[in-house]
Amino acid sequence: MLADIITPDLFAAALRMATPLALAAIGGTICERSGVVNIALEGIMLCGAFAGVAVTLATGNPWLGIVAAVLAGVAISAIHAFTSINLRSDQVVSGTAINILALGVTGFLMEIMYGHPGTTDSINTIRSVFRFESNADGGFVSTVWHWINGIFLSHTPIVYMAIIIAFVAQWAMYNTRWGLRLRALGEHPRAVDTVGVSVLKGRWVAVLMSGALAGLAGANLTLEQVGSFTENMTNGRGFIALAANIFGRWTPLGSYSASLLFGFADALQIKLQIFRGQIDIPPQFFLMLPYVLTVVVLAGVVGRSIGPAAVGKPYEKK
Amino acid sequence: MSAAEERPAAPRDWASIAQKVGTPIASVVLAILIGSLIMWISGYDPVAAFAALYQGAFGTPKAFGDTLLKSTPLILAGLGLAYGFRANLFNIGAEGQLFMGGLAAAWLGLMLAGQPWFVSLPLLILAAMLAGAAWAFIPAILKARIGAHEVITTMMFTYIARYLVSWLVVGPLKSPGQIPQTGLLPVESQLPRIQSLFSEATLQAMPFLKLGRAHTGIFVALIAAVIVWLVLKYTTLGYENRAVGYNPFAAETGGISVQWTTVKALCISGALAGLAGAVEVMGVHHRLFDQFSSGFGFTGIAVALLAKNHPIAVVPAALLFGALSAGGGTMQLMADVPQKIILIVQALVIFFVAAEGIITYFIKQRQKEVTSHAG
Repeated sequence: MLADIITPDLFAAALRMATPLALAAIGGTICERSGVVNIALEGIMLCGAFAGVAVTLATGNPWLGIVAAVLAGVAISAIHAFTSINLRSDQVVSGTAINILALGVTGFLMEIMYGHPGTTDSINTIRSVFRFESNADGGFVSTVWHWINGIFLSHTPIVYMAIIIAFVAQWAMYNTRWGLRLRALGEHPRAVDTVGVSVLKGRWVAVLMSGALAGLAGANLTLEQVGSFTENMTNGRGFIALAANIFGRWTPLGSYSASLLFGFADALQIKLQIFRGQIDIPPQFFLMLPYVLTVVVLAGVVGRSIGPAAVGKPYEKK
Repeated sequence: MSAAEERPAAPRDWASIAQKVGTPIASVVLAILIGSLIMWISGYDPVAAFAALYQGAFGTPKAFGDTLLKSTPLILAGLGLAYGFRANLFNIGAEGQLFMGGLAAAWLGLMLAGQPWFVSLPLLILAAMLAGAAWAFIPAILKARIGAHEVITTMMFTYIARYLVSWLVVGPLKSPGQIPQTGLLPVESQLPRIQSLFSEATLQAMPFLKLGRAHTGIFVALIAAVIVWLVLKYTTLGYENRAVGYNPFAAETGGISVQWTTVKALCISGALAGLAGAVEVMGVHHRLFDQFSSGFGFTGIAVALLAKNHPIAVVPAALLFGALSAGGGTMQLMADVPQKIILIVQALVIFFVAAEGIITYFIKQRQKEVTSHAG
């Protein structure tokens, strides 16, 4: 049975499942590094997921769907930026409002556009980038090739984009002027202000970037994985992404790695459900696994990881 | 530690009261206006929609009964959220504790079949509160000991609770038949309908008492609101709760254990959410199934914020959202407007209430300028 569970496609699924979490988590990292808490990732992702499907259904072009998802993420995160940066609202409350708004707007649009609640029509999901042949029947080399091909070369575009984004964001955060300022914004905004750099502008850019990334995460969910939109389909992924960001100690690569862990848990629970008959554990317990793991991770490892000093505090120019 | 008010008793300042009540009302009005605008842009008639909504929420005694029915769990969930907010804790996962409360009430109600109502009703309510508190306990400990954010942990526990209930109603607690649900609670474990308390003759004489499905859980909720208000205002427990919310460092210096107060606050918040689940099971459905709550725990967030976390103000705030929820169905039926617009209005209310700080901020700035010019 173990050989049936531990296969290339288990790890491939882990990478796939990790992608929306990782994109949202990196978005959360950038946002929180600038000093703004973003619990709206869940709702932003949902908007991106819906916009992606809606535009793809209308145009038949999933690439336009991806663009629409990113733009939708940027648009709705602009509300969060305005309320939490300009109006200095409580950022967690503002994020909660965004999450509820996203549920309402996507559900409302769904009914007026398609005439029914629930799930949209299906689209053709975006196909994987590479399509190499491989099988595991031969010798050592062909088995290795089969695993590499199965795990790494079987993915859709956004999966690779996420990996690239993780590395680029990590590099930019520690090697560019933007990265230095971003980190300073979250630690000591007054200092940033003193040297003449706008705190408001810096934070706005960070929140919009997180919106773009969470929107892209939504596009991955609908356009590459599921192929249709269902109300509230993000199912807490935005909150798990926040946990991944904390577990990853507010770094892009850390966020990506933590997302891999959660993605693996998700892939494993799906895989295990296939063997439900033999294991005799109700499927609901498998479905709980990612959420339980999130709590365990937060409980066990996170205690000593400390976030940016000024996170959640509205900045008031003197 | 005395339980005295933090401010010396001032003569009643009607202007400040008007401001306190005025901003939430302005928030609601603005939210409804923008909601109307969205309806109008989408090609609906907002006037007809809100007329239908009003009809469905207040038009007949039965409709008002539905509003009361929806408001009951909202009052309790709102109280739970407000109690947490007062200690600076955001119990975003009240929905999960609500599920556990509903589960405890349904399970114990079935166990206690044959017991008289004065035994089973208090026990069910107690069990639901304990279950809600227990579900908040782990997030509470994690928050107090290592600072794990309660927004993430309580949210995760909400998903876990949902899957737990969805398993129980297809598995161990399932009643015979096709539908995944528990058996019907014995009558002694049900909260009776308000109209069942009156004789047929009384109802004939006073038809406004024909409140349809509204049940006596509303009285449980109202009593809870008064108790939470008294606890916050007059007890050491409430004082410590508020002190930690205002300034945890000062509270700690003043001899209050911030950790212990955090645990208590989140558990009490969970107990109230659990009670919300119990009244929904005992008063409305009389059984448990996995969709028994229509997001009351989440709407409770809007209720508490609109009430500015004041336990008594939670009641009218819950009535408002209860009315929106009760009238939403009629609105969809008669004006054909998707009920989801209610969620949008709810989100807008939260935005405006949260952004309310800016209005007072501007007023203060203006006043400062005026006084400095005058001086």
